[in-house]
Amino acid sequence: MSMSSSSSRLTRAFARFMGPQVSPDALRTAGNRVLRQQAGQPRILVVLLVVITLAGVGSTLLLPGALAVAIDAATSGRGLPRALGQLAVVLAVATVVEALDELIGSYYGSYLTARLRHRLMGRALALGVPGQRRFPAGDLLSRLTVSANTPANFLPLLLAAVRTLLITIGAVVALAVIDLRLALTFLIGVPPAVVLLRLFLARASEPFVRYQERLAEVITRMLDAHRGARTIRASGTAEQEVGRILQPLPELHHIGRQVWAVQRGASWQMSLLVPMLQVLVLSIAGFALAAGDITAGQIVAAASYVVLALGSVKVVDTVVSLLGCQVAAGRVGEVLETTPAVVPPVLPAAVPPGRGRLELRDVSVVLGERPVLHHLDLAVPPGTSVALVGRSGTGKSVLASLIGRLRDPDEGAVLLDGAPVSTVDLSALRRIVTYAFERPARLGATVHDMIAYGEPAASRAQVQAAAAAAQADRFIRLLPEGYDTPLAQAPMSGGELQRLGLARAIVTGARVVVLDDATSSLDTATEVKVADALARILEDRTSVVVAYRAATAARADLVAWLDAGRIRALAPHRELWSDPDYRAVFAADRDHQPADREQLAVDAGTPA
Amino acid sequence: MKLSEGARLLGRHLRPQRGALWRLGAWSALEAVPTFVSGLFIARALDHGFLAGRLLTGFGWLAALAILYALGAWGTRQVYPWLASTVEPLRDSLLTGVVAASLHRALGGEQDAGGASVAQATIQVESVRGLFSALLRNSRQLLATSVAAIGGLAVLSPLLALVVGCLVLVALVVFAGLLRVVVVRYRDVVLRGEQVGTSAAPVVEGMRDVVACAAQARAAREVGEAIDAEAAAQRSFARAWVLRLPVVTLGAHLPLLALLVLAPWLLSNGYLTVGEVAGAAIYLFSGLQPAIQVLVSGGGTILVNLGVVLARLAEVSTGPPDARDGSPDLLPTGHDLELERVTFAYSPAAEPVVDDLTLAVPEGLHLAVVGPSGVGKSTLANLLARLACPQHGAVRLGGLDLQHIDEDHLRRTVALIPQEAYVFAGTVRENLTYLRPQASTGELEQAVRAVGMEELLSQLGGLDAEIPPSGGTLSPGERQLIALTRTYLSSARIVILDEATCHLDPVAEQRAEQAFGDRHGTLIVIAHRISSALRADQILVMDGAAPEVGGYDALLRSNSLFAELVGHWHEQPTAPA
Repeated sequence: MSMSSSSSRLTRAFARFMGPQVSPDALRTAGNRVLRQQAGQPRILVVLLVVITLAGVGSTLLLPGALAVAIDAATSGRGLPRALGQLAVVLAVATVVEALDELIGSYYGSYLTARLRHRLMGRALALGVPGQRRFPAGDLLSRLTVSANTPANFLPLLLAAVRTLLITIGAVVALAVIDLRLALTFLIGVPPAVVLLRLFLARASEPFVRYQERLAEVITRMLDAHRGARTIRASGTAEQEVGRILQPLPELHHIGRQVWAVQRGASWQMSLLVPMLQVLVLSIAGFALAAGDITAGQIVAAASYVVLALGSVKVVDTVVSLLGCQVAAGRVGEVLETTPAVVPPVLPAAVPPGRGRLELRDVSVVLGERPVLHHLDLAVPPGTSVALVGRSGTGKSVLASLIGRLRDPDEGAVLLDGAPVSTVDLSALRRIVTYAFERPARLGATVHDMIAYGEPAASRAQVQAAAAAAQADRFIRLLPEGYDTPLAQAPMSGGELQRLGLARAIVTGARVVVLDDATSSLDTATEVKVADALARILEDRTSVVVAYRAATAARADLVAWLDAGRIRALAPHRELWSDPDYRAVFAADRDHQPADREQLAVDAGTPA
Repeated sequence: MKLSEGARLLGRHLRPQRGALWRLGAWSALEAVPTFVSGLFIARALDHGFLAGRLLTGFGWLAALAILYALGAWGTRQVYPWLASTVEPLRDSLLTGVVAASLHRALGGEQDAGGASVAQATIQVESVRGLFSALLRNSRQLLATSVAAIGGLAVLSPLLALVVGCLVLVALVVFAGLLRVVVVRYRDVVLRGEQVGTSAAPVVEGMRDVVACAAQARAAREVGEAIDAEAAAQRSFARAWVLRLPVVTLGAHLPLLALLVLAPWLLSNGYLTVGEVAGAAIYLFSGLQPAIQVLVSGGGTILVNLGVVLARLAEVSTGPPDARDGSPDLLPTGHDLELERVTFAYSPAAEPVVDDLTLAVPEGLHLAVVGPSGVGKSTLANLLARLACPQHGAVRLGGLDLQHIDEDHLRRTVALIPQEAYVFAGTVRENLTYLRPQASTGELEQAVRAVGMEELLSQLGGLDAEIPPSGGTLSPGERQLIALTRTYLSSARIVILDEATCHLDPVAEQRAEQAFGDRHGTLIVIAHRISSALRADQILVMDGAAPEVGGYDALLRSNSLFAELVGHWHEQPTAPA
């Protein structure tokens, strides 16, 4: 069968514990839908597989018979060349069929896996930011790498199961053809085998599931420790950590032995049943041989047919694997069947002309159970810089994400220069509304690539200009290969990374730039330089800055004060400062002693 | 990726299980006995029994065979505990080795490809367990069956055994050659499989950025290339695998045909009887042929898989060299820190991040370090905590160079909290007592109150509440609070906060810093907000060329950078009183 079957069973089970808990039955139903739609392609390979399976059944069943004829010919000295010829042909067909089965099975599997992964990736990208709530990054990755790998085995496994069943039936029939009594003897032995199997199935799965849980625990502990590497180094607790990570190990060992105990039971009972049945059939066959009803060759054939007929025992393993395939397909299906929240407009309109006038009308957003924005109205004149201010958790980032349609409001409308953003062509919208985040993702191959990620056609000069404005040009030049340094070889502090993200946001010449806490890792002095540069660049364009520092709010033309899900005020910082509730938002900004303030005021020559 | 490394790794971890392996072999030999005699007994049953009309003799031989099969089944039953005793300890020691090596590499500062490779290593250990078990189970059967079959054949007809033996030998040689080709291709499959994960990870984790840049098509294309490459590698491997055909033909089919071709001659010359021809056919068809089939399809698969996974694990398991010098570890007196003409650069070619810095931090001082981002503040913290070593100059604690101080003592004396707080799966109590396991509940509660963690603690549900893996849904600020409380509770006499309060709001930050300030010992704060400088006794302004130390007012007057840093903060208009 396929190469990955031994480890895939384990990784599949692990994948179950990486994702949100959904009932296995629901997963299997979704999985069946995916399999129905996808597992039948490419058509020609599927047809070939079916044909090969049937050919395999035929050659397997014919083989003992041809052997019997050849043995009889050899012992009687008559018709040997012809019998040998027939035997050779059947052997050749059996071998070729087996090889082709695996080859075509692998081809089929590779195409199906690739197709599922492409679709999964595409759907994940379409689901965008709202999708991350339901499918966090690690979960999505495990579905892409592990879950998408497994449904490819479904059809080959199914065909293998069918093949085994057909062979079983054929073998019993062949036994009956040799001598009816043989078939009847065999059938006596079937019920014990069935009972055995049921017992095995009943006890097999439970320790296995617990085993996977303990293993997943070790992995999550290891992941935690990797994230806290600097702390562990500084605390000198490395040995302690290894012990902590391996804490589930003794129980893992114990459960592992339980798994072995279960396998032991099934194995020795099977290794008793099969030969006993064989001996039984041989005895009856011997009786028939003595009576001259069958030949010596046919006894050999009978022994083989008994083994073939008992091959159905393996079907249990196959059925378990089939279930696993269904569950994996279900995990893929969950993503494929989720409709994107942010949908491109049916009839995309062109970007309206203007300088970035923003309007939010009666906008409401509910996240989880919580209403974050509640009938919010906001009108920002074109070409202004607006600071979004409010206590943490009031929804500033959510509001900011509405402008570029990273998220859509549950109610209400967002308008850019008079046109609802939901009607504007989506990729055009995202070119004129850009974002800089607190922790920009390291996307792209080189530093230049990262800055030009949204605008691949940007020239080096444009990229450099953007980097210079973001105060990043100097440290980029100090990197081993400057702008062409691969990102993986450019270790950066948080502040340097933020500046790259800023450069990325301004390289496109956007109409509206949204800075979501995008200067938090910069110290005050650098932040001022960046702000000055940005002010120059965005002079006649709109900028929306999510602000936590009073200094940032003071630099903006207007402050939109977000409170209890609505805009409480829209006015310059200076005017709002007289309101004690407003000051409280920046509470500890003002933790310097009044004496210092007065002293500075005296130094600066301004009234206190 | 070297296969020999993988084999050596397996050998190393299997060595303690030698005893179990021997017993396994012994019981397997018992298992093989029935197969060995099966052809013989059947031949006797046919010749002396059924073909001669003596039914009872025939049944007798078959009954004897049945008894031996029962013996064999008992042997199978006895084999399993030894299988378990071989495989489970193997998994334990492999996993321990992988975890320890992986952790030490991460601590050595190696850039990890992220959590994906960590999880991968654990899954690979599990694969080794599964594969090795399958290998043991299959290879026992294989060896036992084929040796028994050829042995039995030799008893029946030495000539035949010779012919068959030669054919099988040639088949095995061809198979070994095939495996080398196939392993290379399979290694490709494994590497490309990992590539899918590594190319998708930044896209999936940075989804928000991808969407904001309208770069979905590009991202899909880049990941798509990795997906297609893996599929192509799988197909390439499958093509190579088809070459098993000749092995099966040589090892399984030719012997059978040889028997049948030779049979008339052997029969006519009296070397073999009819029963013996049937017995020989059973040896070949029911014994040798299935063994070759298993070897070539299942067994080969397992061998290739195992070889590649082991080689991968061998790469992961090599720990970094132990870099400790031989000088004796001493204990310092006192807790005065001192930097004397310390210079540090990340590589010989780079500009020094800390240049000829001399600084005295007497015990009990509250020092704030300010400066523009990227200027070297974190580097300074690393130097003080001996996470980095200066190229020139010395860092001294209590008069002793940090390099010569006993490691345990140093780690307990100096505590560093980085910006990214470490919170792990366990109870709140476990997280807080990480640096001081024997702390009492009273001390814990006092620390919680001092640092200002009461609200968080009640939100979490008390000291014995469970924190989920990776800290669950805790915000960065909440994690920092936990790390701060943990360090407050510890016995460290020198605490270095490397922007460790940056995710707290200003009120919480003030409370935490005040708590540490009131605590015994030295406090060094790498400041994120300038307000941290206001609370300190002394301030170090780092500006690359000319670091300066002094009090708040003195620096305000003498250092223009500091004035700018502070001045800009004060730029907001004064409110009417």
